[in-house]
Amino acid sequence: MTFNPLEHRGIPLDRQLRDWRELAVEPVDPDRGDPYTRCRIITMNGIEIEAMLFSHHFARHCPDLDVKRTLARVRYIEAQQQKAVNWLLPGASSVLETTISYEQVAVDLTAWIARMEPDPYLTQAYQFGVLEDFDHLYRYANLYEMIEHRKAEEIVDQLTEVMPGRPTPLHHRDPVDNVREPYDRRGANPLSKLHALTVMAAEQQTMNFYLNVGPTYMEPIARQLYQEIGMIEEEHVTHYESLIDPGETWWEQLVHHEYNECYLYHSFIEQESDARVRAIWELHLNMELEHLRLACDLMRRHDGRDPAEVLAPELPNVLTFEPNKQYLRELIATQLDLTTLGTGYVREAHERFERMQQALNSDGMPPSDQVLDAHREMFGREYRLQTEGEHPVPALREN
Amino acid sequence: MTQTAQAARTAFQDDVVALLTRQHGDIRNLFDEVERATGQDRRTALRQLVRLLAVHETAEQEVVHPFARRLFEGADEVVRERLAEEEGAKETLARLDGMDPGSPEFLPTLRALRADVMHHARAEERYEFREIRRYAEPGALAPLAQAVRAAEAMAPTRPHPGVQGAPANLLTGPVAALMDRTRDAVRKAMGREG
Repeated sequence: MTFNPLEHRGIPLDRQLRDWRELAVEPVDPDRGDPYTRCRIITMNGIEIEAMLFSHHFARHCPDLDVKRTLARVRYIEAQQQKAVNWLLPGASSVLETTISYEQVAVDLTAWIARMEPDPYLTQAYQFGVLEDFDHLYRYANLYEMIEHRKAEEIVDQLTEVMPGRPTPLHHRDPVDNVREPYDRRGANPLSKLHALTVMAAEQQTMNFYLNVGPTYMEPIARQLYQEIGMIEEEHVTHYESLIDPGETWWEQLVHHEYNECYLYHSFIEQESDARVRAIWELHLNMELEHLRLACDLMRRHDGRDPAEVLAPELPNVLTFEPNKQYLRELIATQLDLTTLGTGYVREAHERFERMQQALNSDGMPPSDQVLDAHREMFGREYRLQTEGEHPVPALREN
Repeated sequence: MTQTAQAARTAFQDDVVALLTRQHGDIRNLFDEVERATGQDRRTALRQLVRLLAVHETAEQEVVHPFARRLFEGADEVVRERLAEEEGAKETLARLDGMDPGSPEFLPTLRALRADVMHHARAEERYEFREIRRYAEPGALAPLAQAVRAAEAMAPTRPHPGVQGAPANLLTGPVAALMDRTRDAVRKAMGREG
């Protein structure tokens, strides 16, 4: 189905404000909901938070009071959208349960985008990153069983496998090597721009979530694991944000943000299994169409360009949450030993990488390994969920 | 085993808060089992769930709530709210216990109880357990874990198939009698007479 958001009118901005009753959304069931409904909620929360933060930064660089006021009006509505979306998460879930859903998002969102990305350099960036999120899921799942005696399969269902990816201790690279080359805004496929924005926003929210909730745990091992993985999310945000062409003007970036929100709400309407949640996606799409129209007006007025020049003529194929098990298994089999060097990728542990590893991991075991060690002591095994057979790498099979 | 892993293990196993938090997970696991099983398997899983819930709540009432009350300011209110939740859940539990697991009202009742129990467990973890960890003297939580383990022995989550004697007989007793016996076992473990 083709859908061009530039051709649709949404809800006028002055009719978008919601009162407290409308914002008091009923949360989804923590145990019996569709795992991918939770993933869509977490994704859209990250997207809305990026929208707010981007708009704040824009405002700080903007001398024109009228533009600042328009940004403030739209941003207030976006802040309400973020509340309506994120408050769909149930209070009865523990922080670790939400964390495991965050990692399921990171795995299945990034894997799907890697599969669909037309540019090979960008594809490689997503393939590289997803193998790390995949391993984080496995470490958190082991912590979860230790603390709460629950298995992560009750959260991810059988949709996402839980087993080793690229070992977490090896994710700590020299920051210099986390910076990638950007796409070229003039030649890039419009879909590539949406992909980069989406993954960056999701990882940024994951980073913010871990850095805030990590210290709410009392168990030392939990506190330390959140610290370690929180530092890797910092690397991931650096990695993904550097893919975006910094030559895009503020106006152009604003248009991309609003267009991407339309694309994602439109995508999630198509897939949503929970009718109540789908109604929120529909409402928000109709709000975003108006935000996009306003952003396009600003671009025309202040940038002197037609937004149609930088946007796709119609929305690409809907972004889909679905299992990516075979794709991930192929990546695990072929790309586990990669690290980054400069803006590229290599297989050998080069000097700068070794120096960073030495600085962080030399004095005692990293928390991500301690958690497995403690789990083995407690249960006599690791926690894994391998629905498609043995681990693709023989050395990483459990004896 | 590394020293850190040893420390992590100790922290996880010998502390009453860690133990009860893990029991919350065990209870949720049993809810899942009851919901997924059918026929006789569902009856067996339900018996285990009812027993574990009864024993867990008794242990909390005998061990943890009194300890919390002596420990931190505002604990009376916190405990009162937890007891009200427990009371509500106990009524639903009794109803469920007398119900035919194949009847149409069984699953809705089970799901309602699951939601109530989970809400109660999270409230305990956030408003009671957290304060206990914050204010308790180091070393005070390990002896309490012993008392909870004594209770746990009355409702093994995975009873050994060949087990004979008192614990096996208890598998079929009424809930109230089980709670009484659990109370006695806990008090004995804590060095108090019933």
